[in-house]
Amino acid sequence: MTSDLYREQLLDHYHNPNNYGVLEGADVDVEWDNPTCGDKIHLTAKLDAEGRVAEVMFEGHGCVVSMASSSMFTERVIGKTPEEVAAMSLDDIQEMLGGIRLSMGRVRCALLPLNALKRGMDAS
Amino acid sequence: MALDVQAIRQDFPIFQREVHGKRLVFLDSAASSQKPQAVIDAMTRIYTHSYANVHRGLYTLADEATTAYEDARGKLARFINAADTAEVILLRNATEGLNLVAYSWGEQNVGAGDRIIITEMEHHANLVPWQQLAQRQGAELAYIPVTEAGELDLDVLPGLLADGRTKVVACSLMSNVVGTLPPVTRVAEMAHAAGAIVVMDGAQAVPHQPVDVQTLGADFMAFSGHKMCGPGIGVLWGRRELLEAMPPFLYGGDMIRTVKKTYAQWNDLPHKFEAGTPPIAEVVGLGAAADYLSALGMDAIHAHEREMTAYALERLAEVDGLHVIGPGADRRGGVAAFWMEAAHPHDIASIVDAEGVCIRAGHHCAQPLHECFNLPATARASFYIYNDEADVDALIAALHKVNRLLQR
Repeated sequence: MTSDLYREQLLDHYHNPNNYGVLEGADVDVEWDNPTCGDKIHLTAKLDAEGRVAEVMFEGHGCVVSMASSSMFTERVIGKTPEEVAAMSLDDIQEMLGGIRLSMGRVRCALLPLNALKRGMDAS
Repeated sequence: MALDVQAIRQDFPIFQREVHGKRLVFLDSAASSQKPQAVIDAMTRIYTHSYANVHRGLYTLADEATTAYEDARGKLARFINAADTAEVILLRNATEGLNLVAYSWGEQNVGAGDRIIITEMEHHANLVPWQQLAQRQGAELAYIPVTEAGELDLDVLPGLLADGRTKVVACSLMSNVVGTLPPVTRVAEMAHAAGAIVVMDGAQAVPHQPVDVQTLGADFMAFSGHKMCGPGIGVLWGRRELLEAMPPFLYGGDMIRTVKKTYAQWNDLPHKFEAGTPPIAEVVGLGAAADYLSALGMDAIHAHEREMTAYALERLAEVDGLHVIGPGADRRGGVAAFWMEAAHPHDIASIVDAEGVCIRAGHHCAQPLHECFNLPATARASFYIYNDEADVDALIAALHKVNRLLQR
């Protein structure tokens, strides 16, 4: 499992994340963290007229899993309705990360962007 | 006499396994230690030969189980040189021991306007019970600060103790993160002179060095069995006169002398604080663990770990961008927490795991201490009787791999 986690694709996202930064005039603006390990994310998103996710950016710091997951997530959720986001689960995130099965200790790292967006959409 | 680590490893069946096809390098004993065959056998023996509930039955098995249980208590009393076996309370874990003191002694003796002093390096187990007691009672909670070097700054203590409002000082015998061995006996002298009692968290010290509760200066000391080669239970030692004056913590069977519909009378020490059926086989196993460690010699164990720690600190300094927090090797126990410029602690732990090396990553139940160093988390390697220099070498090689993967 460990070799899966540190393969090229995830390391590329870690070192060169997609959509890194903060969106101006965002509809969703949320900060979320995993206090036990210090992973932290500031996620901003714009929604289209139907309420679908149109654009997402993130800033943050954390481990390879949380940061690569955040980077991939900013593309994976485009076009999703709030209901579709709410229905996303760990399975979807593991599939997004390339079909890996995370150990219990890393699940929360991988879920950081999803949990942030769910919370942000609830609040918006 | 120096420890024969190769012979010791033979006593621990877990070292027969591999992890990811690599030799198992276990460097997380500060969280929980591995178990020697002698402990596993002692527990199996009571289940297969002498098991029954304790303190109740009149038949042979019950008598044998009770004898084994109380013999183990005696071994633990001798292990920490308690003057009185009845001062040794057997509990679920060290955390329960510290909660017992905070509830039973604390609610009776700490009131509004009183002060509780703890340190910034405490494990949450010796922090949250006091924080919550202070809030319940309207008392003040004060902290002895930790310096940049990871030592206690005792300069503040006389000032905190001067007004006589302090009722209790709680302090760890050894930090589970920075490894610091605070001058607890001096802390205890100062606290006692100001009329406070002293509660010590011995979870990191009792498994690793000789601890004598008669000279330590503590009024209470908690420690855990599972960090000293035993199963998952804990022990609270307390001075008899304090324990006698305290109300029970939990109520139920075994802790009572007599029960009427409207009142009850408590059993004698130590049973007053052991409500319900205790973890019988676990207590017997912990007695066997005390025997095992005593046979190796606590002085020899301590000397071995000092050597290991010195070697580890020297080698960790070779790793690019790695920073160990805490004092030098001569002032700490067998723990080294560190951070790396190129890698989050989670990634460090995952990558070295692929090399068979088990270390811990996180805040190690010491969030306020990590705040002192402005770090959310660290990676931590800790050493015990079954570790040798080859284990440190394996860790260092794996840490170089962390840099190869994650340094840009």
